[in-house]
Amino acid sequence: MADDIRALSAQLAQDPQSLVFLRLGEALRRKGQLDAAMRVATNGLERHPHLADAHDLYARILTDKHDYERAFDEWDMAVRIAPHHTGALKGLAFLYFKVGDLAQAEAHLEQARKVEPDDPSIDQAIAMMRKGTAPPAPTAATAESAPALASAPSATATTAAFDEARVFAGLEGAHEGLLLIDGAGRVLGGALKNGAGADVTDTVAAYLAGVSQEAARTAKLLGLGAWMGLSAEGQHGNVHLAHPTPQALLLVVRERGMPLGRLAILAQRATAMARRWLEKQ
Amino acid sequence: MSKALDLITRVRGVRGAMLVSAEDGLVVAEQLMEGIKGGAVAALAASLAGRLRRAMEAAGTGTSVFWHLQAEQGAILVVPGDATGGILVVAVAEPDVNIGLVRLELLRAAEAAI
Amino acid sequence: MSPQTRAVESWTLQPLTDFVREASVRLVLVLTPAGQVLAQSGFSRAVDVMSASALAAAIVASTGELARQLRQQPFAALSHQGPKTGFFLATFVTDRGTLVVLAVYDLDVSSLGLVQLFYEQLAADLKAATPKGAVPKQVLAADFERELTDSLNTLFGR
Repeated sequence: MADDIRALSAQLAQDPQSLVFLRLGEALRRKGQLDAAMRVATNGLERHPHLADAHDLYARILTDKHDYERAFDEWDMAVRIAPHHTGALKGLAFLYFKVGDLAQAEAHLEQARKVEPDDPSIDQAIAMMRKGTAPPAPTAATAESAPALASAPSATATTAAFDEARVFAGLEGAHEGLLLIDGAGRVLGGALKNGAGADVTDTVAAYLAGVSQEAARTAKLLGLGAWMGLSAEGQHGNVHLAHPTPQALLLVVRERGMPLGRLAILAQRATAMARRWLEKQ
Repeated sequence: MSKALDLITRVRGVRGAMLVSAEDGLVVAEQLMEGIKGGAVAALAASLAGRLRRAMEAAGTGTSVFWHLQAEQGAILVVPGDATGGILVVAVAEPDVNIGLVRLELLRAAEAAI
Repeated sequence: MSPQTRAVESWTLQPLTDFVREASVRLVLVLTPAGQVLAQSGFSRAVDVMSASALAAAIVASTGELARQLRQQPFAALSHQGPKTGFFLATFVTDRGTLVVLAVYDLDVSSLGLVQLFYEQLAADLKAATPKGAVPKQVLAADFERELTDSLNTLFGR
């Protein structure tokens, strides 16, 4: 464990923008080094204030410190950013149970079950709560099963069955400029690297779900029908976002020199490949 | 400023053009065809711009200089506010609008807005 | 339905739940100008609801008086924004009398534009949902404490 912490600290020192702070904070928390975990989490939150997983981590540390009121606010914020964040939903359920509000506790667990119907820990928690026993504290439950913890093993475990490398087989940039994610921001395939060559797959995936939700809402409320694609020119690169299926999102990133029109054509090809691949799964 | 918006709305297929405060999502100036809800366009375009900016920064592409949301029955085209002192230049258009032309007029309007 | 949203008067619940979801606001109160709370969302402590409702009612009363002295219609909405958080306070008239909405939002996840946009929908939905023939209830000083305790118990599910 100490070696893990050393390795993760070194990784974070090398790339302070990375999401390694989530794993480091969690490792410190599990080791009971709560003040150190708190520093890691707050630094991470300063860099990634819109990342639901960062608020979830901070809430777990606050819960360990018995600061339930602030933990509630952090989990509440996580759910506002990512309404399907099961870790935060379970955390809120735990806090509601602690104050004796069983109806709210159960409502949150039911919400979590809708998102993760195959997660046995949620059924167990509901059953225990109905018997009057406390559901598992988020210190254990969310840490081990939080599916949205982008860098945690669980996130990759849920997609381990998919052969990521083959989603975009044969397509240029399959391992650095193409990304397929599900509606909750979890990576299904492909990978992204930034200009410096650093892997930014998980960070970008976490933000994309919010972009897609907002694009869908904008198109709907302005009476434009369903959204089909979002193209953007950046200072250092261009991107195109599409959705091969209603639940999946595809991002194509290329250097600035590739015109948006060509990028859209490339995205169409990648969309077709992703759709075929998703149908096979 | 109204002249710049006027040039955008002259492009065939454009149904309205606006300047929007990126931070507040409020209308600064607008020239819209009837039936387009300026307040809603401003609030939603600013919110989407903010989320897109974070994703693009994370992807290492830098802040966006132009983006375009394509939908079945229309499109939103935006020059974001980073280069224009926090003002978004927004066009609402038909789905088959000439995107290149609107992009040029939006960039011109953004220059005029600085 | 958002689990953090509670209502003393059930007809306010769905409009408020929709508003909280769409505008991504952190805290909301729906109250009368006298400070009687009809619904809340996001508050975890009764004492916060009590102080926020009293302060909101006081602001509505003082700006209303200011408008009266300036011979104007009462101000429709008031907005303040800090570096991280903003609040929005507005009134509208229903069959049940004037209602006040206080919304607190984080600038990270929402904006004044979004709050205003979905507030308009909230006001329209609440007007439509107001029970027909409802008469604004006068709260007597003698009943006030009991009413307040009952409301807070309902708002916090006790």
